[in-house]
Amino acid sequence: MEFTPNFKRKRSNFKDYIKFAPFPSNPDGQRYQGVFNGLSVEVADSKHKPIRILHDNGCYGKGSNSRGGPISGEPDETLLLGLEEACVLAYYLDILEIKDTLDKDITWQEYVKAALEYDKEFISKLAAYLYLKSKNWIIKSGIKFGGDFLIYKQGPRHFHASFLVLVHTSAYISNTHYVGKNLKGAQRVAETSDKDVLILGVNEPKDFDPALPTPAALECLTIDETVIRRFNYTSFVQSKQKQ
Amino acid sequence: MSGAQGKAVEIKPKIKYLSASELIAQRHAEVESPRNGLKRTSIEHSAEEKEELKNAYANLRLQLSARRIERQAGRAIAIWRDDQQAAEVVRKDGKFDSFGYSQQGKLYLEYYEALFLLELNRLQLEYYEMIVSIEQAYVLLLGEEASERYNNYLVYSALSRAGYIVVRHQAGCRTPSSNVVTSEDCIWALLEASLNNKPVPLYIKVSQYYNATQERMVQLKQQIRNQTTETITDESSTNNEPSTFKFDTRKRRAKSEPTEELPSKRASTTRNSLIDNLKAETSYTKFQQTFEKLDIVQLHNEDYQCDFDTTTRNFEISFDLHLHNEGFRRSAPKTPTFSVIILQHDEPFPTHVEMLHCQRQQLQAEQRAPLLVISVSESKHIQAFLYYIS
Repeated sequence: MEFTPNFKRKRSNFKDYIKFAPFPSNPDGQRYQGVFNGLSVEVADSKHKPIRILHDNGCYGKGSNSRGGPISGEPDETLLLGLEEACVLAYYLDILEIKDTLDKDITWQEYVKAALEYDKEFISKLAAYLYLKSKNWIIKSGIKFGGDFLIYKQGPRHFHASFLVLVHTSAYISNTHYVGKNLKGAQRVAETSDKDVLILGVNEPKDFDPALPTPAALECLTIDETVIRRFNYTSFVQSKQKQ
Repeated sequence: MSGAQGKAVEIKPKIKYLSASELIAQRHAEVESPRNGLKRTSIEHSAEEKEELKNAYANLRLQLSARRIERQAGRAIAIWRDDQQAAEVVRKDGKFDSFGYSQQGKLYLEYYEALFLLELNRLQLEYYEMIVSIEQAYVLLLGEEASERYNNYLVYSALSRAGYIVVRHQAGCRTPSSNVVTSEDCIWALLEASLNNKPVPLYIKVSQYYNATQERMVQLKQQIRNQTTETITDESSTNNEPSTFKFDTRKRRAKSEPTEELPSKRASTTRNSLIDNLKAETSYTKFQQTFEKLDIVQLHNEDYQCDFDTTTRNFEISFDLHLHNEGFRRSAPKTPTFSVIILQHDEPFPTHVEMLHCQRQQLQAEQRAPLLVISVSESKHIQAFLYYIS
C-alpha cells in the first residue's frame, strides 16, 4: 500500500502566496537582530527590517501580541522565534544574528549549550527541523496538538497541517510515543483535522557528543520515519467486496 | 369400561419440552450486558461499589448461563486431540475451504478455528467421546491460565466476522525453484533490493556471480548518472536478458516528481522518504540551492545489524488475511492482503526498527503483505493500525 499524505486545503481567499518565498531574502547582507531570552529568540520590528517579511516568507515565529503572524498592529509587537527555527535562520541561513540580553553575540556553540539547558532533546529536534525544512515543509510548533511540530504545505493560511510530528532519540524503549495510550491519543487529536502522526526517530552514532563544534556536525545524525494510521478493517473489506 | 377408565395412566414426560413459540423466542435471545452511567476509571473500594460490582457480575453470569438453543443439523464433528493441540475433523458438513490444515490426510482445526465454528453452531466438538459444551470449550481450547490464546481468538473471530479469510501466518523460507543461481538471479535480486527494499537472499549472496554483478551495477549506475558514453565490457551480462530488454516508454513518471534523491549525497540510500512530496513544488525548484544547503540530516540508511540490539522486541506475525473474492485456496495461498501482528494489552507499539525486523521475517518467505498491527485493549476492544515506514 502506497502512502500518500493528506493535503487538506483551507478555505481562504489569500491567493498570493506565490509572492512569498520559503526563506526571507537578505539582499543587502544585513541580518535581523534577535535577542535570546532563554525561551525563544525575540526579534524587534524596525522600518528597515520589518518582522512581517520574516514571518511571511516561510512562516517563521509568532507575533508576541497575535495568535499567528505579527498582525496586531501594536507598535511594541515583536516576533518570537522558536529555538530550532532561530537556530536555522542564524547559523544555517545567515539571515539572523542572535545576541544575548547584554547585546553580546552568541556563537553557535554557546547557543547549543544554552538551548540544551532549556530542552535536553534540542539536538534531535533541530535535526528533525532541518530534515523537514530541507523537504520544503512549513514548520510550526506542535504544542497545540501535543506534539513537537506541525508541518504544512505552503503554510497554515492555505492548508491544514499534514502531519503532527513527534521526535524521539534512538533510546527507543524508554520512549513514551509508542505507548498505546499516548499514540492513540495523539492520533485521535490529529485525525480531527485529517492529519497523520509522523514519528521521526533520530539516530545518533555511538560516540555522539551533543556539544557540536559546527552546524555541519549535525550530518552524523540520521532520521527514520514512521507513520501509523488507524485502519478500519471492516469498511476496507466491504469496499473490496463491492468492486 | 368404567373400571378401565379409573385405571387410566397419565403419562408425564420426564423432560419438559418447550413449545414452538418458546423455542423461537429463546433461540434469538439478544444478550448484551447493561450499560448505564458514565465510564468510571478508578476503583473507589466503597461498599456501594462492591455491591454494584457483585450485581453486575451476577447479571453477567445470568446472561451467559442462559440456555442457548441451536439447530443440531448441519454441524460438522471434530475431536479434540490433546497431543496435537488441534481438533481433528471426523465429519465435514458445509464448506471448509478456509478452515484448518491437513496433515497425513486428516483435516485439523486450530483452537481458534474450532472455537469460532463452535460459536457459530457449525461444529460439534467431542473430547473423550463426550460432547463439549461452549463453556467447557473455552477452558479446553483457550486454557485455564490467562494466555494470549484468548486475544488471538478474539482477533480471529472479529476479522472472520468482518469478512476476511484468516489463516495462520505462512512462514518459512521458500527455496528457489532451481538450486543453480545464475547471474540473472543476482541482477533481479539486486534490482528488487534497490527498488522494493527487499533484502538480498542469502543463497544469492553466496553465489559466485553476486559480487561481480553488484560491482557491475554500481558501474552502470555511475555511467547513467554521468552520461558518459564509454562502454564497460562485461562478459557476464552480454548474453543475458538485459541486452534484449526494451524500455517501456508509455508509463513514465512526471518530471516534476522526484524519483531519486540528490545523487551526490543519497547514493547509498535505498529506502525512500514518505514526505518528499513537496519537492515537486515550484517553491522548491526556485530555492533548490537553499534547500540543498539545509539538507544535512539524512534519512536513516538501514544499518540493520547495528540497529538491532537487546532492547528490540520481536513481534510475531500471527495471521494472514485474504479476501473472499480473490479466489483463496488453502493448498496454494497467494500473497495475503495483510499480515497481522497482535499487540497484547499494555504493550507499546512496535518501533521503526522492530517493524523493519518484522518485515524482514516476512520478506524471507517472499510474501510481501502490508503489516496490520491489531491492538487488543484491556476491555478487549480491537483496533487495527497500518504502518508506513521509510
